[in-house]
Parts: sequence; structure tokens; C-alpha cells
Amino acid sequence: MAKQLAFYFDASACTGCKACEAACKDKNNLPVGINWRKVYDYVGGGWIPDSKHPNILVPNNVFVYSTSTACMHCQDPLCANVCPAAAITKRDDGVVLIDADKCIGCRYCEWACPYGAPQFNEAEGVMTKCTFCEDYLAEGINPACVDQCPMRALDFGELSDLRAKYGSISAIEPLPSSAISHPAIVITPHKNAQPSGQGTGQIIKLEEV
Amino acid sequence: MLREFILIAFTILVQMSVGAFIVLSVVKFFAMRKAGQEAADLMGDRSLVAIIVVLGLGLLASLFHLGSPLKAYTAVSNFGTSWLSREILFGVIFAALGFLYTLMQLFKWGGAAVRTALAWLTALVGLVLIYCMAMVYMLPTQPAWNSIATPISFFTTTLLLGALAMGVAFVINYGYLQKKNPGCADEQCELLRSTLRWIAIASMILLGIEFVVIPSYLVSLAVGTPQAVASAALIAGPFGMAFFFRLILAFIGAGVFGLFLFRSTQKEGEVKAMSNLVIAAFLFVLVAEILGRFLFYSSQVAITI
Repeated sequence: MAKQLAFYFDASACTGCKACEAACKDKNNLPVGINWRKVYDYVGGGWIPDSKHPNILVPNNVFVYSTSTACMHCQDPLCANVCPAAAITKRDDGVVLIDADKCIGCRYCEWACPYGAPQFNEAEGVMTKCTFCEDYLAEGINPACVDQCPMRALDFGELSDLRAKYGSISAIEPLPSSAISHPAIVITPHKNAQPSGQGTGQIIKLEEV
Repeated sequence: MLREFILIAFTILVQMSVGAFIVLSVVKFFAMRKAGQEAADLMGDRSLVAIIVVLGLGLLASLFHLGSPLKAYTAVSNFGTSWLSREILFGVIFAALGFLYTLMQLFKWGGAAVRTALAWLTALVGLVLIYCMAMVYMLPTQPAWNSIATPISFFTTTLLLGALAMGVAFVINYGYLQKKNPGCADEQCELLRSTLRWIAIASMILLGIEFVVIPSYLVSLAVGTPQAVASAALIAGPFGMAFFFRLILAFIGAGVFGLFLFRSTQKEGEVKAMSNLVIAAFLFVLVAEILGRFLFYSSQVAITI
């Protein structure tokens, strides 16, 4: 049995197509306004005047890369610690789950989570979030997002195995520092990736996330 | 936005009632030594009912920010790690002890010593409750809240609102006593006068603490993480007007009216002036503290994606 299941994300391969987001939404039948997996497009750089033709602007270090995020099933899940109803638990395999029967909908976990993972379902009056497709896992099927990615940019597995294979980077812009909650994520950064907390770019098209 | 207003109502009402209970306990302690048990009870007992009503309204309000209020009773189950659980548990204990004390006091159940001990125990639980309330906001992902200023300002709000609310309660109680039984008016009037004097002094001191904490807090935000800087920019920018009125109303209420109240308690036959001043001070400070709490919730910028 795995001790800490984790996602792997290859930012150097991701094209930002959002197929993972759509697969998640479809598989989990998520209502409008709730996306357990989200893809953020992060852009930076600027434009400078050409030295010979000052009226013409040329691109200067312009870059864009995408980051696919979901619940990080953190090793130190702040959401589970702060939940007053003990509705959020971390399983033996590391998966963090919300028990909708116990959740009272106080939305305190929303304040605590650094990844915006717990999202409030207005109609049900409870918080919801990525379940790591635990029903699929039990049947031996991969999480929906992993299998749907056309670029094979998503993977999952035991955290220590993923780290041995891909390295130990767990935070690049626009993700917050991994020191807050020790997320179970391994990232292969994009060539233009900026260190977490030292970014010069910004997230664009937030309405599309 | 509605959720924020519910949280403002909950925290302000609960803090005001805890503060009022603590102030009442302290006032009764001194009133008892000065004029005896009976006079102290006569002065303070009626206000207990008001405290319980305000506390009840606050706790009731908290249910309305839940998505599933019917399951609210489970909210104490994560006592081991969740400050929110602790807040709710101590809120319920405070309400239960406060209610029991009110009943014992009104119907004179048990001995005076037992009741006094229960009052101090309730006041202590109230202090723990305010501490838990502040710790709820000390989240590593919320730099605008995760500051020593949060517990300090929760305690100053508690004591400032509590003291002035009790000032109003004592004035109303005195008006009631005067109409009913003019004979007891003299001793009660003297108690009222010295109580209001100390309430005025306490208000001015607490205002001084607020006026040290607020600027230091803003400076700490301005030199903090990008999210903290964004919070400071919100307070200085879009919410600047609310911030200005938060300061000016607190200053007029606790400072200017507080000073006039203090001076009017030094003169004979100024009951009317004292009454009006303490009521005005309370109303100004109440609005200032509500604005302060509004800023607290609206200036929060989380460390998140």
C-alpha cells in the first residue's frame, strides 16, 4: 500500500489545453463554478523598442507556461487540521478526502488551503474537492485527468518513487511555497519557470481557469 | 459579502458580551467592597439579562454562515487541532455558565460566595474564548490575519465595547431604579458615578492601545509578503474611507466623549450629562469597531494560487 500518493506534472510538456480540467469536471459531474483541477496560464516578459527603429517594439523575454493544479493531498494538510467537524481526513495512502456527511459548510478550509482546492458547493451546502479519483483507484483505473492528458504531462504514484524519477521540485510560480503544507506534487519545470514567490509574471485569463 | 457581515455580527456581539461580563464582574467586585452585596446586585443583575441576549444573538448569527447549519453540533469534534472547534466549544461553555450564573443571580440560588466564584470562572472562560477566536485567524496562508495584532485587537475590542456597553447598562439600570424607588438613589448614584469614571479611564487607555497597535500593524503589513502589502494597499486605497471613519469615530467615542465623561463624573448632579456621554461614546465606538472588523475581513489577501 502506498504511503503518500502524489501527482506528477510536467510543465515542460503541458500545452495548457485544459483537457485534464474537462476530464475531471466530466468524471466527477462538477457543477458550474467548481473545478477540482484547474490550469493556470502564467505569462511574463515585456516589449522594448528596437535599437534601430525606436517606433517598433520587439519582444523581450516573453514567455508563457501553464500549471495544472488540483488538491495536492498535502503531507501536512492544513484543511484537515483546521476543519472543526473533523470532516477532512488523510487516508493511509495519503489521499485527503472530505466527508460530505460530516462537513458543515463553514468554509474554514477554504481560508486555510494555499491551493484553492476545497470549493464550496452552494446547492449541497458542503465543501468539495479532488478525491484523487479514489473510486477509480480502487478499481485499478488511473485518475481521469492523468489518462486524458494528450501530452502525457500528468502522472501519479508513490511520492518517493516520483521524486526518484523526476526530482523534488514542488513549487514554481504561480504556486505558493511548498513549505506551507508540504504538497504531494512533483513538477518538471518549464524552461522559463520562475521560482515560487519570486515571480515577475502574472496569471492571465483568470476567467477561464 | 453576506457571509462577512454574519461573521462581523457574530464576532462583535460575542466579544461585546464577553467584555461586558468581565467588566461587570470587576465592577461588582469593587461595588461589593464599597457598598455591600445587595447594592452591588441591585446595580448589576438586570444587565446580565441583556448580556445573555446579546450573546445568544451572536451565537445564533454564527449558524447562518454555515452551508449545513443542521450539522452545527458536530463542530466541536476536531478539538485536538482546530481552533475553530475550540472557539465553538468555549463559546458554548461560556454561554452555559453565563446563563446558569444569570439564573442563580436573579433567583438568588446558592450562596453569594458560590455565585461570585461562578462569575469569575465564567469570566475566565470568556477570556479563553476570545483567545480562541483570535487564533482561528492565525493561518499561515492569511498574512493580514496571522499577526500578533489580531489577538491584541480582539482583546481591546472586547474590553472597550464591554466597558462602554456596561456603562450604558448601568445608566439604564439607574434610570429604572430612580423611577421605582427614589430612596436607593443616593448610594446607587455614587456607585454609578465612580463606575463611569473608571469606565472613562479604561476607554481612554484602550483607545491608546488601539492607536499604537493599528499603525504598527499597517507598517508590518507594508514591509511583509506581497499578499500583506496588497492588504495594506486595500486598507489605504479602496477601504480608506472606512479606515478613516474607524479611527475618527473611535477617537471621538472613547477619547473625546471619554474625557468629557471623566470630567462630568467629578461634578455633583451631572447624572443626565454622564448618561448622555456614555451612550454617545458607546454608539461611536460600536460603529468604529464594526468598521474595524469589516476592514479585518475585507482586507484579507490569501497566499494562494
